[in-house]
Parts: sequence; C-alpha cells; structure tokens
Amino acid sequence: MPQEYDVIVVGAGFAGPVAAKKCAEAGLKTLLLERSENPGEKVISGLTIPIYGFLFGPSFIRDGNPPIERPVDGIRNYVIYDITAADIDIVELRIPRPLSPVIAFGYNAYCKPFIEWEVEKAVESGAELMTSTTAVNVIKENGHIKGVITDRGEKIGARIVIDCEGSQGILAVKAGIREKYPPEAISLADTYDYECPREVIDRVFGHTLRFCWGFDEQMIAPPLGHGNGLMSWPYKNSIHWMQDQCLALDGGQVPNLVRLFDEYHENIISQLPWWRDEIAPHAVMRARMWEGFEIFVGLDGRLRNMPNVADGMILVGDAAGLESTGLCDGVPAAWFSADIAADIAIESLKTNDTSAAFLSKYDRRIKAHPIIQWTITCKGRWNLRQAQESHRRKDLKAGVNYQFGPGILTHVGTPLTRCILGAMRKDLLVMIKWVKMFMRYYYNWEHERFGGEKLSGKPNVRGVIGINLLLFNLLVIVLSPLSLVMAWLLAPLAWTVNPIIKLLRPLIELILRGWIKMEPLFTPLTNYTVNSVKQSDASIFDPGK
Amino acid sequence: MSRKSHKFPGVEWIGDTGNFISIDEAKCTGCGNCLKVCLGRCFEIHNKLAAIKSLDECMECAACWYVCGEGAIDFSWPRGGTGYRSDWG
Repeated sequence: MPQEYDVIVVGAGFAGPVAAKKCAEAGLKTLLLERSENPGEKVISGLTIPIYGFLFGPSFIRDGNPPIERPVDGIRNYVIYDITAADIDIVELRIPRPLSPVIAFGYNAYCKPFIEWEVEKAVESGAELMTSTTAVNVIKENGHIKGVITDRGEKIGARIVIDCEGSQGILAVKAGIREKYPPEAISLADTYDYECPREVIDRVFGHTLRFCWGFDEQMIAPPLGHGNGLMSWPYKNSIHWMQDQCLALDGGQVPNLVRLFDEYHENIISQLPWWRDEIAPHAVMRARMWEGFEIFVGLDGRLRNMPNVADGMILVGDAAGLESTGLCDGVPAAWFSADIAADIAIESLKTNDTSAAFLSKYDRRIKAHPIIQWTITCKGRWNLRQAQESHRRKDLKAGVNYQFGPGILTHVGTPLTRCILGAMRKDLLVMIKWVKMFMRYYYNWEHERFGGEKLSGKPNVRGVIGINLLLFNLLVIVLSPLSLVMAWLLAPLAWTVNPIIKLLRPLIELILRGWIKMEPLFTPLTNYTVNSVKQSDASIFDPGK
Repeated sequence: MSRKSHKFPGVEWIGDTGNFISIDEAKCTGCGNCLKVCLGRCFEIHNKLAAIKSLDECMECAACWYVCGEGAIDFSWPRGGTGYRSDWG
C-alpha cells in the first residue's frame, strides 16, 4: 500500500511550514516534503522581511521568537549620477527616531535559521517532515492530482497537494498547470555575504538598508529597471550584498551576466565611497551565492493570471508567481498565500471537493488580498527604465523615490490601511500584539534570545516600559468597542488614502525630511526607549499576557 | 561527502546528484545563452553546440533553462539531499 496523506506540502521554505502547520493543527495528516537535507540550506536571498508580513501574516510568527539578524528602520538610496566625481543624491525612506528602531520597517534575517524555526513549529503542530526528498512529478488520475512521485520513484498519495516549490515552479510546469516563465521575467541575484564587526555596521549602517542606483554607464546597478540596484543589508555581525539582473532585456537580448556581475562588483567595491572607505577595510567575504527571482512576473498580466490551482493542487508563494515587483520581497506574499491555501485545503477536505472549481476560492482570496495585489503589480520598475532612456537626473531620482523612497506612500497607503482595518475587525486587541511584537523582537535581537523557549522572568510588570505597556493595554481594551466601530466605518474610506497622500505629498515629504533633520534632538529619548526595552523583564512582552 | 570551491566560498556541494541538467543536441543552436548566464560556468561550446562541462559548481538557479529559447535544456532537481548547500543564504 502506498503511503497516504491528507495533505502534502512540497517545499520547506518560508511558505511550506506555514501551510503545513495550519493543516496539521486542523487534524489533517500532513507531510512536509523538502529536497535538501536540512530545511533552508538551499534558500538564498538578501533578506528584509517587510513589516506587513509580520503584522498581517501567520500569528505564530507574530507571537513567536523567530531568529532575526537586525531590525530595520528603512532604506537609504544613493542615486548616483557620476561615481568618479562622487555626484550622488540621497533619497531616504525611514521610520524616524524615536519611533525606530523599536518600531521597525522590517526585519533582516538569514534564510536558513528562520526557515528551520518555522519548520520546527510545523513539526510541533504535528506535521511530518521528510527531507532529502525531491518531488519530481505529480500523480495524476483522470486529470486529478492525487499525490507526488519522489526522486526515489516512490509514490506518495494525498487528497491535496500544496505546492510551495519556489520560483522555478518545475512541479507545476510538469503537472501542466503553468508554463515556464520567459527569461525577461526572471532576475538572477548575485549575492555576497561579508563578515564585519558589529560596531562598524552600527556606525555605518545603523538600522538602515543601503541601496545604490545609477545610469547604466555608471556600472553600479544592472541596466536600469531590469533588476535592482546594488542592495546591501546590515545584519548583526555581517553584511549581505546583492545585485540582480534580468535574464533577458527588452527585445530578448540575453546579457553576459558572468562578465557583467564581475565587472560591476569590482567597480562598486573600488569606487563606491562609503563601501571602499568605511566597509571594505573591515569586511571579509564569507560566501558568494546566486538564485533566480521572478520579480517581473507580476508586471505581465498574462503571466500574473496563469492558473494557481488545479484539480487536487494549490500553488503558493513564488510557485504562484507572487514575488513582489515593488519592494522586491517574496516572504510576506508567501506567508499570506500559504495561510489562505491551508484554509481552502481544510475547507475542501471537509466538503470532500478538491476540484479546481472549488479551489478557485483560493485564487479569489489571493486577488482580494490588498498587500499581495499591491506587491505584485507595482509598476515602479518601468519608471526606472524610462529614466535610463530619458537620461534625466530628475527622472532617475523620481523613479527611485516612487519605488524605494517616500513616494511609495502614494501607492501603499490604501492597501496598508485596508489590512490594518481588516486585522482590527478580526481581533480587537491586535494592536497590543503588534506593540509587544515590536518590543519582543527588539529584545530578542539584542539578547539573541530566539527559538521556542518560554519567556522567563518574573510575571510582574516591571520598569517604565512595563507601566507604559500596561497603560497602553488598558487603553486599547477600553477603546476596543470604539475601534471596532471605527474599523467598520472607516473601511470604505481606506480607498481614499492613496489619493489623499498623493495630494499632500509635498507636505508629507517636508514633514518627514524635517523630522529626520531634527532626529538628534530625539537621541536621549531614543536611547532611553531602546535601553528600557533591552533591560525589561522579557515576560511583559509575552503575547499571551 | 561534500566539496567546496575556492571561487565560491560559503557553499558546499554534496555529490551523487544525478544528471539533473541535460541538453538535447538536436534542438541546440549553439547560441551560447546558457554560457552567458551560468555563474557556475557549467557549460562549454563543443563542436558548435552547447555541452555540459561540469555541474560541480551549479547552484540550481535554472537560469540556463529559462534562457534556452529552443527548449534544448531540460532542468530538474538533483537527487534529494544532494547538490549545493549554504548556511549564508
């Protein structure tokens, strides 16, 4: 008798464990299949998981202690017009002090430990993990997917398969659900990891990512709009560094990436002033890796609308083409879609209907998700391509501003507001969980307190943070009936947030710039907040309290 | 048994992968796109057609598969538990 499961989740990356955990919790016999020997060791990315992933993603991540490398307050963009003359403009998108760094824009992480942590949670919930096993094809009976075939030729049966394979999506291609992406939709990311002392990173980067953009002849970024500029991420004791470039340019020409990446890397490390002078003397290269990303899939309506369900199968995250064309993040959409896929799988098994017609509910929910839809359709990259053509400084700066600077507020405002109001309608006390998450994550980062351990410490609330947190909790609880009314009443108005921000943009940018200029004034308050969180009794951040 | 490469620190390769990339000579036009995008330098041109030199430094990105307009390259995954691995992704 072949083995039989209710659910097989293919791929233990960021998405797989989320789907597997939820299915296992619902009492379904769940198998999480992974081709590598240890989960996460074949996942490569420079990684900031934006905050919306944590706020609106799976609650076990929000309320848990996943391993992170650094809380991030935003992005500092270097818009480079002439690298040899150091003719450089700066565009900054940051959560200002004293809100940051505790209130974070996102969290940096190494993929492997984060994924291992997620997998551990899925296994604790009852999912079965099978590693060193590649799913090479699906089992099909009368066109209906009934399980997978492994590289050992073993057939494993399942009532439903959740495919979290990643961007290549070979299983879905073999199953005849999707076609292979064209090379212009895929970007190859050349990634480096440098060891660097924490004090150097604290001094040079602080909590801010550094991205560099330039016209093509500056050899700082790949041909504009066909990839990302140079991106660098401060981790705790290391720096991640990445350039990426489409496998084909407009017109189908395939660039010589072997040469291009080497030339650009050499040019940047020898010419980019802050890298050359401040980082290079302290940094030691530890790893060089690369991976393909599907960040342009969403920009093509036909590719975006390829099926993500079939009879007996649901595609999730990158395997469903959900990598972001906006901030270039894949994890939040992977988490959201894995969560939705698990809900639909559970429902379909209850009603014993795993047909594509039933599972198309998944597609409808993906298309109704404000953040997923925003991230995969953001058109910012076209502005950069046009800037290269016009070759005007103004266009380059505006393009960077729109996608990675304050201009992002003109298109993220509405989806973010809709998600915040939606989360409040579902859980009136969600604000308390968010605030505790920010503090707990910061505390965990400082003390490297990750994993599944219970929060220790005295159960009583201690210190100023504790008192403030208690007051905040009381306020949220007292005002909760009012916030419920507001969450419903304001819902239709969420659509006006983007136009309003667009209208007030000059004023908003002025305020942000002014605030950032005045930041030194807030240094004592920032230090006080950070130290209070650091020295708190960790048990006050326990989400259950 | 794992292998390292001085060109690509921080990565190990575990052998016995099987032939997870193959080239159909009848379809290959020798355009060389696969050579241009393979950072692991796995391909070479042999008798005017693409050939696999070695998959020893392949990082399984599938770039070769994407850029082969003729569909001459078939890409699957290495056997479970083999191929590249890294702690620093």
